[in-house]
Amino acid sequence: MAEERKSLIKIKPKRYKDGEIVKVSFMVMHPMDTGMGKDKKTKKIIPAKYINSVKFNYNGKDITTMTVWESLSVNPVFTIYMKVNGKGKLTVTYTDNTGEVHEKSKKIKPKG
Amino acid sequence: MQRRDFFKKIGSVAAVGAVIPVMSFAADAPKPVSPNKMDYKVAVDAITGGKAPVKSSKVKLKVPEIAENGAVVPVTVEVDSPMTDSDYVKAIHVLSTKNSNARCIDVNLTPANGKAYFSTRIKLGGTQEVVGLVELSNGEFLIASQSVKVTIGGCG
Amino acid sequence: MKTGIKIALSVAMLASLSFGGEQFAMSDADRAMYAEMSENNPADIMIADGEELLSYMGGDEGLAKYLGVSEDELPSYIAGFPRYIKKFDMVVGLDQVLQAMMADGGHKPLKLKSGNMFAMVAYVKSIANDEPINIDVNANPQMKEMYALGEKTFMTKRGGRGLSCNSCHSPDVIGRVLRTQPLPDLSSKGVKAAATWPAYRMTKSSLRTFQRRFQGCMKNALLKVIPLGSKEMVALEIYLTDKAKGSEIAIPGLKR
Repeated sequence: MAEERKSLIKIKPKRYKDGEIVKVSFMVMHPMDTGMGKDKKTKKIIPAKYINSVKFNYNGKDITTMTVWESLSVNPVFTIYMKVNGKGKLTVTYTDNTGEVHEKSKKIKPKG
Repeated sequence: MQRRDFFKKIGSVAAVGAVIPVMSFAADAPKPVSPNKMDYKVAVDAITGGKAPVKSSKVKLKVPEIAENGAVVPVTVEVDSPMTDSDYVKAIHVLSTKNSNARCIDVNLTPANGKAYFSTRIKLGGTQEVVGLVELSNGEFLIASQSVKVTIGGCG
Repeated sequence: MKTGIKIALSVAMLASLSFGGEQFAMSDADRAMYAEMSENNPADIMIADGEELLSYMGGDEGLAKYLGVSEDELPSYIAGFPRYIKKFDMVVGLDQVLQAMMADGGHKPLKLKSGNMFAMVAYVKSIANDEPINIDVNANPQMKEMYALGEKTFMTKRGGRGLSCNSCHSPDVIGRVLRTQPLPDLSSKGVKAAATWPAYRMTKSSLRTFQRRFQGCMKNALLKVIPLGSKEMVALEIYLTDKAKGSEIAIPGLKR
């Protein structure tokens, strides 16, 4: 059974207005195995398992898409900016090279 | 009573001895090959379609001169751009010159980002250059690079 | 023969110690860049996880009740750990309080070394974020005794190289660099280390507690590793937490 991965979307500043450009970070616990590392105990090569695509979708529109390779750090972080354009939802989706898909959403609630 | 048993359990943990590392002199097995091996030059050509990128101070690449740890190297690329529908940064690519797969990430931006910025953390296999390659909406490619010294560093 | 190796080792070690001004140390700009990274600390995810785990035992409210304080008092009470708790008749760290709470609540206590326990400890300590550390090592005879034991543990030379914690972490080593890392002074008053652990360790890609960090240091310096939660380990945490007294807690830290 695949364990549900833990992820987090952070928006900075925490309180923002409509039209403001905010910093958005997506963090996830993912091993990002390159396929070149060895298990310290078994000495066997750990098969490649890395995120290969990330998508930031805001109110139904893909604002940023990414093609990702194995050289991102373990438990990677993706930070971009985004122009707040009304109430709604930001959804970050990633897939990895083994077919794993994960989705995380955050409500966008501009104040004033 | 239950509590007492519980703390006894903690006490018993104290019996664990020291682990003494054993050095192995066995010959190393052949190195595994990267599943996505790609040289830096090939990678740049693949992105630009052979077009030569222009060195530009508009691309602000932020990486440490000395990395505390090759497994976690912070990288930030920021580009001077109005990010309007007619003039924006289409993509920010992060590459490394000596990793077996030179490509780290391709970030496709849109005017909805409001600011041409991307930041992440990458793994570097050794001392080398980190490169920010930027594609503008007019089809131009800009580039900036900086060398990062990777060390083993510290204890534990 | 053995002595020969020992001497060779200590010479090699001295040779690898150099002064901070040397070219191979990180610049302040580099350090600032790493500091900026803590804005997106992967350990934030683990802390959210720890909060969820605690919620199964009643969350902050349940913890406050278990410790016999009000929810308002909880942050400053947490900022005083490790402390003597009468109902256990023992000086304990936050992890041991959580274990006891699990046992009393009919749950199987998590192991002190488990990732879930680290996540819970980190969450619980983060309740006290921005709160100054207020440990009182003179509060009672038990704390006094533990402080003395902690100092002894810090100063005692052990292991194959005859090193103590103090050998590498005293004010005398300030400015010295071991393999590009400035050796942190841990023994001067005002050293804030205790306020930033539990922390995310980049080298380990995981969340670690202060005591777990001591273990890693002991292992690499060839000192016999002291178990988590043992009297000596809690004492060591007390000794170093007292150095950080008054420093504002900022959990999770981000470490190399």
